[in-house]
Amino acid sequence: MVEAFAVASGKGGTGKTTSTLALGMALAEDYDVTVIDADTGMANLLFHAGLDDADVTLHDLLIDERDAAVSDAVYERFGMSVVPCGTSLAAFEAADPGRLRDVVAELAADTDVLLLDSPAALGSKSAVLPVVLADRIVVVLQPTVPSLSDGLKVQEYAHSYGTDTAGVVFNRVRPDENVDAIAEQAGRYFGGQTLASVPESDAVRAARREGKPLLAHAPDDPAADAFREAAARLDVRDGDGRDVAERFKSAVAPERI
Amino acid sequence: MRIPRGELRRSRVVDDAAAVLRAVLDEELTGYVVFEPQDALLLGETTRGVVTFEDGVPVLAYDTEREVGGRDGLEGFAVTGPTRAAVHAVDADALADAHEVEEFRVPPGEPARVLAGDERLAERTTDAAPAARREEGRDRSAVEAFLADADAIEEIRSEAREEARARASEWGLDDVLADDVGDSAAIEPGPDSR
Ligand SMILES: Nc1ncnc2c1ncn2[C@@H]1O[C@H](COP(=O)(O)OP(=O)(O)O)[C@@H](O)[C@H]1O
Ligand SMILES: [Mg+2]
Repeated sequence: MVEAFAVASGKGGTGKTTSTLALGMALAEDYDVTVIDADTGMANLLFHAGLDDADVTLHDLLIDERDAAVSDAVYERFGMSVVPCGTSLAAFEAADPGRLRDVVAELAADTDVLLLDSPAALGSKSAVLPVVLADRIVVVLQPTVPSLSDGLKVQEYAHSYGTDTAGVVFNRVRPDENVDAIAEQAGRYFGGQTLASVPESDAVRAARREGKPLLAHAPDDPAADAFREAAARLDVRDGDGRDVAERFKSAVAPERI
Repeated sequence: MRIPRGELRRSRVVDDAAAVLRAVLDEELTGYVVFEPQDALLLGETTRGVVTFEDGVPVLAYDTEREVGGRDGLEGFAVTGPTRAAVHAVDADALADAHEVEEFRVPPGEPARVLAGDERLAERTTDAAPAARREEGRDRSAVEAFLADADAIEEIRSEAREEARARASEWGLDDVLADDVGDSAAIEPGPDSR
C-alpha cells in the first residue's frame, strides 16, 4: 500500500519542512515512510536531516545527463528513507520537473507512506507538481490571515487536480493563542480535520541547528508531542487498490503517448 | 557601533535590496550585510549602512556615515537604485555582544519594509523570527473576522480555482484536472470533521 501526502502551505516559513520530517518520524513507528524534498527550487530538508553533504540528491534524478539511479538518492535516516534535494540554482534550472513523476512512482512502489515536502509557491509547474502527484495534502498553517489565505489557495489548487485535504496542522502557535476557535471556523473551509496545534518552540530551531528532525532532537518537547498526535490522526489509506505508480505515470499529460 | 569582522561571503551590486534580504533569510545567515547605495557614489557622497542578522533575521541596523542606529539608521541608507551588498558571516557568539545594544535594534521585518518596500518579505521575516522577537499581538480578532467573512473567502477560493485552471493549461496539466472542479470545492455548511 502507499499513500502520498504533499505537505503544503502556499507560504514559506510556516513549518512545512519541520512538519514533513516530524510527521515522517512519527508515522515511521507504524509504516515504511519515504520523505522527499520536492521543494526543488528552495530545498532545505537536507539541512534539517543532517544530509548537507549528500552526494546524490533529487536534483541528480531530475537531470537527464546525470544518469543517477533513484536508490542512490535515498538515505536511511531516523527510521525513514529520506530523499534530499540539492540547493544549486544551476541544478534547479537544469532539472526537468516532469521527471519527478517517475521518481515518485518508483519510490511509491516500495513504501507505505510518501511525504512530499512542497514548495511555498504556486507559480510554476515544478511548484505545483507535488500537489498534483499526491493523493492528499496536509496543510500547514499559522494562525494568521496571510497564512490562512495562502493555505486556502493551495488547497484550491490541490482540489483542482483531484487531490483532497487530509487535514490541517496549525504550527507555531503561541502560548497566549487559543486556536480552538480559529480551528473550528477554519474547519468550514478546509477539508479533513484539524490534526494538531503545534506550539512555538525553541526546540524546533535548536533541532534545525543540530541538523536533526525535531522528534530526534527533542522527542519530549510539547511540539514533538503535537506532531505525534497529528500523525496518529492521519488515517493513512491504501489507495483503494489503485495502482498508484501507474497513476503517477499518467499524471503529466504532455508526456503521455 | 562595533561588530566583529566577519568572513566575506559575497559582494555584488543588486537592483533590489529585497533579493539580498531574501537570500540571507533563506540561508539563515548569522552575520551582517553592508549596503552601499551606488547612486549616491556618483554624486560623490558615501552612503553606507549595516544590518546584522541572526539565523537570517535582522537584528540591528546602523548608518555608518551618519552614525545613527535603529529604524532612523535604516532610513539613512534606504536609497532607491542599485546598491552594493556585501554579505559577511560572523560567529553567533561573537555577534551576541553587539546585539545587546538596544537602541540599534530593529523589528525583524523593518529592513524589508524600509530598504525594499516589500511588505510580504517583511512578514515572512517576522514569521521566521523567534517568538520573543515577533511583534506583539498577532491580531486574533483579525483572523476570526477574516474567517467569519464567508463571501470574501469564497472569492479567494474561486479566484484560486480559476487561476489553477488557467495555469494548468499553460503547463500542459489539463488532463489531470479533476472533472468536478467547482462542485467539489463548494463551501461545506458545517465543520467538516471526518
Ligand atoms: N513550532 C515551531 N516553533 C518554533 N520555530 C519553528 C516552528 N516550526 C518551524 N519553526 C522555524 O521556522 C522556520 C521555518 O520552518 P520550516 O520548517 O523550514 O518552514 P517551511 O519549510 O515551510 O519554509 C525554521 O527556522 C524553523 O526552525
Ligand atoms: Mg521548507
